[in-house]
This record gives sequence, C-alpha cells and structure tokens, in this order.
Amino acid sequence: MAESIKRKTKRQDPRLLILLFPGILMMGLFTFYPIIKMFIMSFFDWKIGFNQQSLFVGFQNYRDVFADPIARRSLVNTLYYLILTVPAQIILGLCVALLIVRITRFSVTYRLLYYLPVITSWVVVALLFRYIFSNDGLLNYFLADVIHLTNGSVGWLSSRWPAMTATAFLGIWKGIGWNMVIFLAALQAIPKQYYEAADIDGVNNWQRFRYITLPGIRGTLLFALVMLIIGAFNTYTPIAVMTEGNPAHQTEVVLTWMYTQTFDSLKLGYSAALSFIVTSMNIVIAVFLFRAFKAK
Amino acid sequence: MNSKNRRKGMIWALLIIMVAGLLSGCASEEPQVAGEPITITFWHNYDAGAGQQEVLNALIEEFQAENPGVVIDPLYLEWSALKNNVVAGATTRMLPDVLRGDIGFVPLFQSLNVLVEMDTSFDDYAKAAETIMDAPNSTAARGEHFYGLAANTNTKILYYNKDLVSTPPANLAEMWDIAEEISNDDVTGFVEAWMGGWNLCQYIWSNGGDVLSPDYSTAEGYINSPIAIDVIQRMADLHEAGAFNGPSIDPGAPGDTDGMGTGKYAMTIDGPWKAKDFATKYPDLNIGTMQMPAGDADSIGVLGGENFMMFESSDDAHKQAAWEFIKFMTAKDAQIEMAKVGQMPVNREALNSQEALDAMPLLPIFAEALETCRTRPVIPQWGDVSGIINTKATEAVLGLKPVKTALDEAAKEIDALLAK
Repeated sequence: MAESIKRKTKRQDPRLLILLFPGILMMGLFTFYPIIKMFIMSFFDWKIGFNQQSLFVGFQNYRDVFADPIARRSLVNTLYYLILTVPAQIILGLCVALLIVRITRFSVTYRLLYYLPVITSWVVVALLFRYIFSNDGLLNYFLADVIHLTNGSVGWLSSRWPAMTATAFLGIWKGIGWNMVIFLAALQAIPKQYYEAADIDGVNNWQRFRYITLPGIRGTLLFALVMLIIGAFNTYTPIAVMTEGNPAHQTEVVLTWMYTQTFDSLKLGYSAALSFIVTSMNIVIAVFLFRAFKAK
Repeated sequence: MNSKNRRKGMIWALLIIMVAGLLSGCASEEPQVAGEPITITFWHNYDAGAGQQEVLNALIEEFQAENPGVVIDPLYLEWSALKNNVVAGATTRMLPDVLRGDIGFVPLFQSLNVLVEMDTSFDDYAKAAETIMDAPNSTAARGEHFYGLAANTNTKILYYNKDLVSTPPANLAEMWDIAEEISNDDVTGFVEAWMGGWNLCQYIWSNGGDVLSPDYSTAEGYINSPIAIDVIQRMADLHEAGAFNGPSIDPGAPGDTDGMGTGKYAMTIDGPWKAKDFATKYPDLNIGTMQMPAGDADSIGVLGGENFMMFESSDDAHKQAAWEFIKFMTAKDAQIEMAKVGQMPVNREALNSQEALDAMPLLPIFAEALETCRTRPVIPQWGDVSGIINTKATEAVLGLKPVKTALDEAAKEIDALLAK
C-alpha cells in the first residue's frame, strides 16, 4: 500500500485523506478553532451564560490591557523571569551536556539524575521551593544557623524582586535536565573528525568549543532558545504555588493574571486580548531569533 | 458505478462514519426513560478532612432509601473549581442539578442566567424557607426572588492563644493594642489570612463605616471614608511594628492555622472551621474564643455560609427530584448530622437542638455573633470589588502607597466596576 501511495501524487490518492483526517480534525477542533475563536473574542465584551449577548468593542480590550498597571507589571515580571531563566538554563544545560558527553562510565546514571527534576511534578517541587524560601524555611535556617551570614529573617517571598528571583531558581533547576538532553543529542551528532583535525592543528579547548562545538549545535541552540522563551511566557505553576501573585499582585505573571481575569472576573475578552499580545511578542522574538541565527 | 467511483464512495462513507463516531461523544444526555431512576448530579465542597463527606454519603443513602426513584451522584470540587466549573458550564450547559456553594456564588451565577428562580418554580418554597433562619436565606435573594436555599451559615469570632494573650480584649482598639504589646521577634500579635471584603468589612462596619453605599451604587465616600482610612492606617502601623501579618501580605509568612498552632501568631478572627482545624492539627493549643470585639459602633461580623442552588439546564423531572433533595438536606435531622462535622445549621429547630449544641460547643458564641452580623453586598461584581479592596489595602499596609491614596484608588476602581 505504501508503494501504491508513493506512486500517485497527493491529489490523486484519496486514501491519504483518510489517514490524515483524524489528525487534521483534532488539530482543527482543539488547536485552530480555539485560536480563531479567541482572536474573535478579543474584540468583544464576551459574555458567558444562557441567553447572553456579547458586544463588539473593537480594540477596547487591547487598550484595557495596556492601561492596566497589573497587566503591565505581569509582563515585566514575565520578562524578568525569562531573562533570568533562559540564559541560565541554556548555559548550565550545555555545561552538563559537555561534561556528560565525555563520560563513558555511569553516563546513564548521570543523565537520569539531571533529568529527574524535569519529570518531577511542578506542583510538588514548587511546594518544596516555597518551603525552602519561606521566612522559616531551609534557606534562612542555613544562612542564619549554619553559616551565620544573616539573622534568619530574610523575606525571600515577601516582596516582588526577591520572590520573582526565587521562582526563577525553580525554573532554572527544573529546566537544566531538558536542556542537557537536547544539547547531548546535538553534541553527539557533531562528526568526530572535526575534533580529530583540530587536535592535529593543536587547538585549545576554548577554540574547539568556539569554532567546532558552538557552530555544530547552532540549530539546537535556536530550538532551545525559542522553546524556552515560549516556556517562560507560559510559566504559571511556580507563581501560583509559591506566591499566588501576592502581595497585592506584585508577583503576578501574564498567565496567572490571565487566569485571574478569566475565571475570577469573567473578563474573557480582556484575557483573549492579553493572550494575543503575548502571542505576538512570542512571534516577534522567534522571528528575530530565526533571522539572527540565519544571518550568521 | 465503476470501481473508482465505488472506492470513492466507500472512502466518503468511512469519513462520515469516523466523524459520526467522534461527534457521538459530544451528544447530550439520553432522554429519561419511564421507570428508570433519575440521577441527580450534585456538586459540593463539603470538606473530606473534617468528615463531612462521610456524613454526606450517609445522608445520601438515607435520602435514596426514602426516594427509590432518585440516585444522587455527588462530586467534590474545591471552592474555586466549583465556581470555575459553573462558569465553564454556563457556556456548554454542562451543569449539575444541584450545587452547594458559597453564598457569594448566588449573585454571580444569577448574572449568568443559569440559576433556577426557586421561589416561583416550587409551590412549597415558602414553606421550606420558613424553617430556615431569615438572615442566611436572604443571601439567596436577588431582587424580589430567591435563587437558592441556605445550606449552612457562619460568621467569625476571635480566637486567641491563651499562653500569649492573658486578658482577652474588651474592644477592637484594645485588641490592636494587645497585638502590638505582645509582638516580638518570635510572635506576631494578629494574623489576617486575606485583606478582601470578607476580612476587612467587619472592622469597617464595627467602627460605623461601610465599603459601599446602601444602594451599592458607589464606593466613593465609603471605602475611602475617614473611618475606613483609620482602620487600614492602624493595620499599616501594626504591620510596620511587626504586630500584623498574614500569608497574602507576606507569601513567605506561615499560614494562619499553622502560625496560630505553633505560637507564631497570637490572635485571629475566623469562622467555626478554625476550631476544628486547631483541634485536629494542634490539640494541645491553649486556645480561647470570644465574640469579635466591638468597635466604636458595635461588633458586626460578616455573614458567611453556603447555599443550595439549582440550574436551568436540568429538565423538570430532575428539578423536582433535586428540590426534594435540597429539602431533605435542610431539614432538622440532616442539619444536626452536619452540625456534628462543623456545619452551623440554618434550620431553626436544628440550631436550637441540644444535639447540635453538644456537637458544636462554640454554637452559642456563633449564634450570638449571627444576631449582629451583616451580609456582604449581594451584587455580581462583589468578587471583583473584594479583590480591589484586597489589593489596595495590602498596598497600603505594606507602605507601597499612602493609605488615603490607596483607598481613593480603590473607590475609583470600584465605581468604574459598579458603573458597568
């Protein structure tokens, strides 16, 4: 059958339609339809409930988002989380991958150990980090009672920037393993001959990394960057569990604020507009990165 | 028909079957067949940890035995999940037949047009409502009609650690003074779990102020009145002195129950469930209770509790069976059983019964507090209004903004919300 399909063009063989239909239907129903519907919703004062009339409001929801100080703060907090977590995850993940790629004994054990945080539940580790960073938590105990550096009353989660930094630590810790696996695969794909030739030319370790490894994993680097940036914009659980956006929405990120506006305030049009603003930012960043990497 | 056309025909038939198969999962409930039992879907947030779900299951069995044609299908959802599922179901019409949820849900759900107008739908609603206390049942009213029946009620009292507070306060001003006096590096005098309407209204009301105008049309001159400013300013001063805190003001601080239980907090004002929490988690805690201390005006707590609600998505047979279940759950026997697991009865007979009193030793204090407490504004926007109060009061308490500025902003934002 595969041969038969191969012989005909896609237009000619309707059996292709049957094979693709379930996937196309699912994508249409659960991906494209909601996106289109949400785009439409962003121009309405969207009402839910029986016999409710939604009013067309043009760009009012978009104006409301830009005028909302909490939405602006949540965007800044998200960008702060992104700036802290994305480079740190890539650098640490790459470092671990570079170390592990050379190890022959127990390499699977090391991979497993570094990957464990990735498969651990977000909620569970967020609760653990909350305990570590709380006023009576492990970190304050360590700083005060073990190394006697502070008096033990540092409020890591009490105000905006320390709390955002604490949540970023969680994001970094949890993301290293994923980056390690991605970079490990990329490193293994670089032909060994390049390194052998470099050895003959007498290059040092930095030159090997700069001129062979880095160009060899450029595509993977771009992939990791784009995925991590999207992931940073989608961060929800660390904030929801560690601070709940408190105090006074100081630690809100876009997704927690979107959730609050959708389910607590029932402002569905507003939330749809906010989500499209975030999507647009993601697209702009991704296009910029693709161009930057292509140019090189 | 040649073979090519036949094959095309078969392919289209296959596609149609596949689509039909997929869509069949979205089909609505099958119509009721005569003689088959009616299944009532019941969403609730009865606390499993407090033993309430065990009692509920026993009551359901009893109800089903009395009503052989009805099966109750209960589903536990925590507070926000309960609300969110109704919000989602308001669009898809996938709603339960009965819900037992926060009294604040009534105006919200009614604004979505999903609730059954119960007083006009059932001839015996008035008769059933007569057995219920007026104040809790008033929370089910919107305009001239009732969209629910009170399930249980509560208000708040003062809990204090007797090892830290030797003499209970005579009034609110004294309560704040004691909080300041006893605070040190290890102890915070007073904990407030949140800073929204549920938590702050009681202080403003008890000092003679209010958060909204009596017709709920404006917050200007109410939430930013001199009385409200004084209340929040006192809290800000206490916070600066290390005598006032809470998990929403400081996410790194201990929770109110754990903080009280471990002696980090000395006083809190909360509902009847807190007594159960302390008894279960910290049985050795030397806890004292009393009515919320009076302010300049009186001791005016916030009325809390839950109501039973029904949904327009149910057919007539389900509505009638659901109504019978609600009447069963609000009758004396079921209310006494629920009192044994911490639910304050709304049924007049149950509230005055010796059995309920034996089950809830704090019932007399709460019953006294219920006489002077008030309902929060019964408006669909209350959740958002309460959220604004929380944000602005917290900003003021943390010193991010002067108290007057924060409350002026609150008034402006609330008025914009009320105008919609």
